[in-house]
Amino acid sequence: MLNIKNLHVAVGGEEIIKGLDLEVGPGELHAIMGPNGSGKSTLGYALAGRDGYEVTDGSVDFAGQDLLELEVEQRAAAGLFLALQYPVEIPGVNNAYFLRAALNAQRKARGEEEVDSMAFLKMVREQLKQLKMDEALLKRAVNEGFSGGEKKRNEIVQLAVLQPKLAILDETDSGLDIDALKLVAEGVNRLRDENRSFIVITHYQRLLEYLVPDRVHVLSDGRIAESGDRSLAKRLEREGYAFLDTAEA
Amino acid sequence: MSALIEKLMPQAAAEDDGSFGSLRRKAQKVLMQHGFPHRKTENWKYMPLGLLEKRTFSDAGPGESETPSPPSFPFDAGVIHFHNGRLDPEACRLPDGVALTGMLPADIDVSVLDDAGPADAFAWLNLARFEQGWKLLVEGRPDQPLVIATTCDDDFDVAVHPRLTVALADDAALTLVEAQSGQGAGLINSVLDLRLGRQSSLTHVVERRFVETALIQRTTARISESATYRAFVLDGGGRLTRQDLVAELASPGATAGISGVATLSGRALVDYHTAIEHRVGGTQSHENFRILADDQSVGVFNGRIHIVRGADDSHSQMNTGNLLLSENARINTKPELEIHAEDVTASHGATIGQLDDDARFYLRSRGLSDTQAIALLKYGFAAAVFDTMAPGAVRDWLTDRLKEYL
Repeated sequence: MLNIKNLHVAVGGEEIIKGLDLEVGPGELHAIMGPNGSGKSTLGYALAGRDGYEVTDGSVDFAGQDLLELEVEQRAAAGLFLALQYPVEIPGVNNAYFLRAALNAQRKARGEEEVDSMAFLKMVREQLKQLKMDEALLKRAVNEGFSGGEKKRNEIVQLAVLQPKLAILDETDSGLDIDALKLVAEGVNRLRDENRSFIVITHYQRLLEYLVPDRVHVLSDGRIAESGDRSLAKRLEREGYAFLDTAEA
Repeated sequence: MSALIEKLMPQAAAEDDGSFGSLRRKAQKVLMQHGFPHRKTENWKYMPLGLLEKRTFSDAGPGESETPSPPSFPFDAGVIHFHNGRLDPEACRLPDGVALTGMLPADIDVSVLDDAGPADAFAWLNLARFEQGWKLLVEGRPDQPLVIATTCDDDFDVAVHPRLTVALADDAALTLVEAQSGQGAGLINSVLDLRLGRQSSLTHVVERRFVETALIQRTTARISESATYRAFVLDGGGRLTRQDLVAELASPGATAGISGVATLSGRALVDYHTAIEHRVGGTQSHENFRILADDQSVGVFNGRIHIVRGADDSHSQMNTGNLLLSENARINTKPELEIHAEDVTASHGATIGQLDDDARFYLRSRGLSDTQAIALLKYGFAAAVFDTMAPGAVRDWLTDRLKEYL
C-alpha cells in the first residue's frame, strides 16, 4: 500500500525527516509515536503534499503510484486522507456542501459517477449518527464554532464518507475526553478492512487500547528509531522516550 | 475640476423647463460656486475623477434608439426599466399596490443645496440636469418584488442624470431590486430617494456590474417610526463606481441594515460611502460590508455611523472584512463612528487579509482543486453577508450572481 524509502523532508530549509523508511501493507494499522519535534506531523503533511514541506530525497510509492509526483488533490483522489491535528475552520462554507463537493471532486478525478444529494445525505447522516453528532452540524460552516471534540469527530465523518485507501490520523486523540476517544476509535474500527490501511500518529498509548496496531514505530530526530508490536507502545507509556538516548548512545 | 464642469455642464445656464426651473438654477449656481470634488475633498479622495475628465461626453443627449426589453429575472417581479438613463413609462410592469407618477418640485429634498462643499456636487448636478423625475408610490404589501433595471447601449457615451423617489406608505412592505449594468463609457449620475412610512418595511437589493460605464449614485433612505430598511448590495465591479448610501433613522423604532459585497477584478474601482444617521434615540442599525479585490482593482469602503446628541438608547454595529487577492489590488476601508449621545452601544471592526493557506490546503487535501478551493473560500467569505436576507427566489438569484462573479 505505502512504501517509503529514505525520505528526507525539509521545512523552511531545515531538515526534519532525515532518511525515513516505512512500509504499510493493505489492511494494516501502524502507530507512530515519538517525542515532540521528532517529525511526526511533518511526515503527515509531507505525504499529503502540503506546500512548504519539501521532499529533498527518497521515494514514496502509494498503491503503485509515485505519490511525490501528485498534487495535493490528486493524492486525495488516489485514496490518501490526512486527518489534521487542528482541523481548519472555513467560515461561510456549509459542511454538507463542502463534503459533497470534495467527494464528487474525488469521484470525478477517478472517472466515477458523482453522488446525488439524496444518496449523499443518507450516507453522511448515518455516519453522524454513529459518531453521535448533531445533524444540524451539516448546515453549519465547516468546523466553525465546533468544540475541539466535534472537530475531531468531523474529521472521522469526512474519513467515513471519503473512504480512502490510507488514512493518516495526526493526533486525532489529542484534546478528546474518554467518551469522544471511544467514539472516534469505534468510527475508525468500523472502517478497518483488509484493504484499508491506517497510520495513527499519537503521543499516548491510550488510543491504542481501542485501535489495536499491527506495528508501532518510534520516530526520533526524523528517523524511525525503533519498531515493534503493540507491546512497544506499552513500554513507551511506562518508560517514556529516555531509552532512545540509551539505544543511540 | 473646472474641466469637469465644462464636460458635464456644456450649456451656460440650465434650461428653464417650467416647474423645476428655480431649483435647477439654484443647483447650478451652487455647483458653479463650489465645483466638483477633488483629491483633497476627504470623502472623494480615492475617486480618480480625472478619468471622467479624459472622457468625451456626447452633447447629443441619450439617443432615440429603440429601448430593448428589460433583462429577465428568475423570479416573478414587476419591472421598470431605465435605458440610457431614460425611463419608458409605457413599458413598466407594476405590481398591484405600486403606482408610477411624475415627480413634483415638492418631492425633491432641497436640503442637499444647503451644504456648502463640493462633496455633494454630483447631487447638485443631478438636480440641475435631470431629464425626467419619477416617483413610485407603494401601498400595502405587493406580492411581487419590483425591479428597477438600469441598462445602456454598448456605445453609450453621454452623461445622464436619472432621478427617482420611492415612497412607501405607512405599513407598506416591498422588495425593491436595483439591477444595473452597462458597457459604454458614459456617465450615469443617479439620485434615488427612498421614503419609508411608519411601520413600513423595505428590502432594497442592489445588484450591479459595469464595464466602462461610470456610475455615481446617491441613495438616501428616510426611515420613519418603527420602519425597517434593509439593503443588500452585490457589486461585481466597474471602471468607476461611486455609491453614497445614506440611511436616516428619523423616528424611534426605526431600523437600518446594510449588507454589502463587492467582488472586484481587472481595473475596477468601486467606492462605497455609507452613512447611518441616528437622528433620534431608540433606533438600531447594523452594517456588514466585504470587499474582495483581485488584479489591479481598488475597493473603497467608508462606513460612517453618526449618533446625534440626545439619541440615547441607540444601537449600532458595524463590521467590514476585506480580502486582498493580488499584490496589486488595493483596499481602503474605514469605519467612522461619531457619537454624541449617552447610553448607546456602538461597535465596529475592520479586517484586511488574504486567503488562508491552511484553509486552502485543507480543502485540497479533501480532493478539491486549488481553483475550486479558492472559489469556495471566496464564496464563504462573501456569502455570509447575505445570511440575514430572507430565504427565497431573490436571495437565490443574488447568491447565484455572486458565484458567477467569483
